[in-house]
Amino acid sequence: MSLLLVALVTLAGLLVPAPGGITNVGLLYLIPVMVAATRYGLRTGVVTGLASSLAYNFFFIPPTHTFTIQDPQNIISVLVLLGVAVVASQLAARVRAQALLAGRSAAHNSALAAFAQGLTGLSTREAVARTLCAETGRLLDVQTVLLVPAAGGLEIAAAAPRAPHLEMLDLTAARWAGDHNRPAGRDTDTLSASEWLFHPVSAGARLHGVFGMARADARAPLDSDRAPLLQSLLDQAGLAFERIALEQEMAAIAHITERDRLRAALLSSVSHDLRTPLTAVLGALAALRAATPEDEAHLATARVEAERLARFVGNLLDMVRIEAGALHQTIEPVDLGEAVASAAHDLRGVLDDHPLRIAIAPDLPFVLVDPQLFHHCLINLIDNAAKYGPPGSPVDIVARREGAAGLVLEVIDEGPGLPPGEAARVFDTFARIEGSDRKGGTGLGLAIVQGFAQAMGLAVTAGNRADRQGACFAIRFDAGHVKESAGEG
Amino acid sequence: MSRDVTVLIVDDEPAIRRLLHVAMTRAGHRVVEAASAREALAALHIDKPDVALLDLGLPDRDGLELVPLIRGAGVAVLVISARDETGQKVAALDLGADDYVTKPFDTEEVLARIRTALRHRLAGEAEAPVVRFGDVEIDLGARLVRKHGAEVHLTPKEYAFLAELAKSPGKVVTHSRMLRQVWGPGHEHDVEYLRVAARGIRRKLEDDPASPSVIRNEPGVGYRLMA
Repeated sequence: MSLLLVALVTLAGLLVPAPGGITNVGLLYLIPVMVAATRYGLRTGVVTGLASSLAYNFFFIPPTHTFTIQDPQNIISVLVLLGVAVVASQLAARVRAQALLAGRSAAHNSALAAFAQGLTGLSTREAVARTLCAETGRLLDVQTVLLVPAAGGLEIAAAAPRAPHLEMLDLTAARWAGDHNRPAGRDTDTLSASEWLFHPVSAGARLHGVFGMARADARAPLDSDRAPLLQSLLDQAGLAFERIALEQEMAAIAHITERDRLRAALLSSVSHDLRTPLTAVLGALAALRAATPEDEAHLATARVEAERLARFVGNLLDMVRIEAGALHQTIEPVDLGEAVASAAHDLRGVLDDHPLRIAIAPDLPFVLVDPQLFHHCLINLIDNAAKYGPPGSPVDIVARREGAAGLVLEVIDEGPGLPPGEAARVFDTFARIEGSDRKGGTGLGLAIVQGFAQAMGLAVTAGNRADRQGACFAIRFDAGHVKESAGEG
Repeated sequence: MSRDVTVLIVDDEPAIRRLLHVAMTRAGHRVVEAASAREALAALHIDKPDVALLDLGLPDRDGLELVPLIRGAGVAVLVISARDETGQKVAALDLGADDYVTKPFDTEEVLARIRTALRHRLAGEAEAPVVRFGDVEIDLGARLVRKHGAEVHLTPKEYAFLAELAKSPGKVVTHSRMLRQVWGPGHEHDVEYLRVAARGIRRKLEDDPASPSVIRNEPGVGYRLMA
């Protein structure tokens, strides 16, 4: 083609006598050289330049029709033609390469955009896996496979065009890529004997799968200039997997929340439904008068057990309120002596057999708590102490200042104490101390103490008394929970 | 006062109504039952009860709304509530309820509360000039308090506090009512004043302030004089 142009220019130069002499004819030869160099690259450019200079020499430079050059000036003309051919062809080649790259990158970008667009609509891992394999296989013209973590290793989640047979070596490479979050297999530093090239598919710290590619004709599966495209595709797929995983986790959390809500509603309704018949039973038992001493014993048993049931239902309701986070607090200044007296009043039946010894300084500052919640804390602590203490043993309640501005209230029994290491566990819901001889109760009481205390920002601790056998439960009030009296106002 | 007392029982639970019915009948009271707010309001006008036992959890209407209506008809109100409903108890008392009992309740306690409420109702505002309990004597006319016959010196606020309780012995007085009556409007949330006054009174009147026998504290609700 370019040689045809050279011939054309030659013909034109011969037919039309150039006004400026043969040098201007030489300039005309620049046209085919430029065209050839820009359109067809360096080699064609140089060949055209050579052909041009030969034609120019043969037809126009005296002596014409020979390849001899007499005038040194004309040698320069030939060299210039050749030089122009080289420079122009190089410039043009660079521009062409850039245009090619831009074109390919535009194609990559649109492919990526289409891929990402396709992924957003997918709601399952399987669909993402299928799309990743199919699209990447099509774009890069390779066989693809996606392996995902499964119990005991990796399993094939999707493949294109069909599920491949992977050798032990391939699977090892895949596992290595997943474990190290780096490529492995063909054309890498690791296990390069594998036909397959594996890339991890991850998002954040989470590995979602290992993507493998190979070619049926055993050529390298990935050209180096396609690597960025592949990485982008895998990143997109990783994000899609992550999005689906997060969606599933959200759904799972919502499910758990709903289950907790249902459980709380059920417990609440059961407790409420238990309370009404209990009230009726307790009332009827209280009204009954026994005809014989034997009946009196049965009645007493029925009353005691019904009261225990009532306390348990009350505790169950409290636990539901704690777990549902439904504790409404009204923080007020509370006199510890008064609070203990109220709790003792409500527990008078339980305390018949356990004298309460109260040591609360009369001028102790008030504490800032919710009076109802604190009342139930005290009831449960005193009830617990009475339950553990041997019959007739006293329950001690001591309150005093502690530290610069704090207070501590202790409930101390003469029971068996807590086994080593069990001090924190006694507050667990339904916890029972191994081997201990619990008289009724479910262990809910102490869990309620801790739940209420924590809700009010108070610390409760359990331990053994130092002076003799027995347990000691302490509620601590820091400066923020102590109200130094400001007088009567 | 030997005239028959009519008790209106308002509760949607038949078991509770039956229990209270038996207990009231045994105590010599006439009984009217209502299972809903609608029935209660009808009975209020037809049967003219003296006291209403009101469960706040009614199927057709919030029991709290009934409190002022029943009190408006000149009938004493005793609220029956669950123990985790302190806010409701206080609201009912502030709306004019005479007292409350907590489920599961003791029917003897219900009868005692009814007696207290009716005594107060029959006596009207002309309270007894001298209230005695145990070895303590409160002379509301002379504004004096004696223990074992010897005068006890209370601060003015302590006396006002005690007198407020003594006007209706055995009946609970809510924090906000006590603060309003003794310290004046604007101090209804200064619970600390109450604690200080109660502590002062106990120190002067109780044999053992740790197990009081004069003033009882109802946590989060109020105080009552032990009758």
